[in-house]
Amino acid sequence: MTSIESKDIHKIVVACDAGMGSSVMLASTLRKELKKLGIEVTHTPVNQIPGDADIVICHVGLAQRAAVSAPSKILIPFQVFLGDPAVTKLVATIKSGGTVHA
Amino acid sequence: MLEPAAVRLDAVATGRDDAIRQCGEALLAVGAIDSSYVDSMIQRERSISTYVGEGVAIPHGTLDGKESVRRDALSFVRFPDGVDWDGNLVQVCIGIAAKGDGHIGILSSLARILMDPAQAKTLRETNDAEAVIELLAPVGEDEDE
Repeated sequence: MTSIESKDIHKIVVACDAGMGSSVMLASTLRKELKKLGIEVTHTPVNQIPGDADIVICHVGLAQRAAVSAPSKILIPFQVFLGDPAVTKLVATIKSGGTVHA
Repeated sequence: MLEPAAVRLDAVATGRDDAIRQCGEALLAVGAIDSSYVDSMIQRERSISTYVGEGVAIPHGTLDGKESVRRDALSFVRFPDGVDWDGNLVQVCIGIAAKGDGHIGILSSLARILMDPAQAKTLRETNDAEAVIELLAPVGEDEDE
């Protein structure tokens, strides 16, 4: 899958190595931003991405592992844990009801 | 989660790995981990930096390292002179040991603090361990902004 409409997004997964640190912080920030839109945001280790995830967000250093672990998902890699342009763009696109591209 | 015994406000480190070891030692001191967890924290840092901005890093172990975690806990170690962290200057290290979700509330608070430069400055500069714990007190995730 290479793109998804905002209305079809129900679950976003933030993946990191242990699901212990950075992904937790990013997920908590996103959860607050997207709660009103009814989108569930969770965090998991990169090798345990759930099948019902619509979008996977992970650090660029983990993108390859995420692509192997969840090959059919739209993957948004980021570099900075807070305020990354890719994540900011994702939120803006979802809030405006646009199409999210991998 | 974050106990006074795991808060150190006046630490000095020779570099990133030394700073991580000190965060690990603080977790060890409160009985949250086995000592092998500290190596897993350093290993994790070598793969991807845990620098999160505003002079703060959140070192933690790898997925395999979770087996060395006895209970969820955090440590707070401040380096007033700063530590070179792959080109970033880090003054606050928050060490994480987690096998469950006990630390999520505090990390949510941290995310909120880091997005407010004034609060981030307070976190970097306060000399009061209780104030640190209070500042990082968990906020309910359902709380409306």
